[in-house]
Amino acid sequence: MNVNDYISSGIVDSYVWGLANEADTKDVLQKAISNPEIAALLHELEIKLERFDMANAVPPPAGLRESVFRKINAIKNHSSNHQNIITMNQYSSQPARSGGSRFLVAACIVLLLGLAYLSYQFYTQKESLEKDKEELQAKLTTSDSILNKIAEEQKMVSDPNVTVVNMVGTQVAPRSSANIYWDSTSSSVFLVVKNMPKLTSDKQYQLWALIDGKPKDLGVFDVNDEKVILKMKNTQKAEAFAITIEEKGGKPSPTLEKMQSMGKTKAAL
Amino acid sequence: MGTTKIYTEADLIQNLKLRDDRAFGYLYDNYSGALYSVILQIVQDSDLANDVLQEVFVNIWRKIDSYDDSKSRLYTWLVYIARHASIDLIRSRSYRNNAKNQSLNDDAHVSSVPGQVVQQHVDGIGLRKVMLNLKEEHRALLELSYFKGFTHEEIAVMESLPVGTVKTRIRSALKQLRDILK
Repeated sequence: MNVNDYISSGIVDSYVWGLANEADTKDVLQKAISNPEIAALLHELEIKLERFDMANAVPPPAGLRESVFRKINAIKNHSSNHQNIITMNQYSSQPARSGGSRFLVAACIVLLLGLAYLSYQFYTQKESLEKDKEELQAKLTTSDSILNKIAEEQKMVSDPNVTVVNMVGTQVAPRSSANIYWDSTSSSVFLVVKNMPKLTSDKQYQLWALIDGKPKDLGVFDVNDEKVILKMKNTQKAEAFAITIEEKGGKPSPTLEKMQSMGKTKAAL
Repeated sequence: MGTTKIYTEADLIQNLKLRDDRAFGYLYDNYSGALYSVILQIVQDSDLANDVLQEVFVNIWRKIDSYDDSKSRLYTWLVYIARHASIDLIRSRSYRNNAKNQSLNDDAHVSSVPGQVVQQHVDGIGLRKVMLNLKEEHRALLELSYFKGFTHEEIAVMESLPVGTVKTRIRSALKQLRDILK
């Protein structure tokens, strides 16, 4: 590029007068940076244009200045209002920041609900456990008493003075069975029902001892406590034992047709 | 907005960018006349020029951040804004309808029409005045490009000239102004 040609082309002038297109504008600005002569011309022409226009200035009407600044102030106020709005947005964005704390509140509520649910669960569980405990306690008591009775039975069974009489079913009740534990030294009679049908509430079983062919009442019993040792009336002698079904409370003499079970004593054998 | 302070150009630009009231007051007091003159020469109507000048200063307020002092002096940027605002106005439909009426009046040689008074007035100021020293072919191209805002390509079509010739003649015209402006 020949600088003189560039300077005399008028392209710099066209930029200063605002008549250069985009490509020429870019070109002039680039050349002005790299070439001091072109930069000097650019500056000179700008000064010349400015001085010329200043010299040819036409004062605008007096009221125009005020009008201009009224408009500018209106924009300023609008934009400062706008800033206020932004400020308020920032202010109202504190709840947005507390969108975090809103989340915390929500989380707390969820947690509380969760805890309440758990407490309820635990309470219910405790109630049910307490109930279970009571049931177990009752069962334990029952089991203890059963165990004691079994232990008692075992003691009797292992006692050489105790005679065990195996009562077998008769033709009327072939599946009925029970054991009689008869302590000949103390005359004590114990009965353990093994399998006896349950009776209606107006009937009871009655145990008899047969002494010299005659029945002796040894008491009535129910089979509610199955396999539980029942203490019956004492007898010093017995050739055999028999169980009959009688009216509730028993009878002085057995109804032999309803004899459920019978067993002879070893001693009698 | 007192304008007692005298700014260097750098100070003025810095304070304008800070949207300083006093700097804008100073700007108006020192540059509005030059810009108003250019606006008048383009729109050729004082009422419209008043509107354009206000619009220009509002635009300066709005756009001062986009002014780059490495690309031009402040005034070069200001007058560019003023010229384009003026050209936008004369290209608007309402202005053209109005101008048609004026030219009818011109044809009828009615000299009492205000617009014509302005016309006669603006011919005596600024570039319009010094342009009279140029050759007709140069004057016509400056009229179309500087005062009417047509591009080189548009002028080439209008004047049935190659774009290169339009560009060369405009540059030549502006170059001659270097000596005339002093």
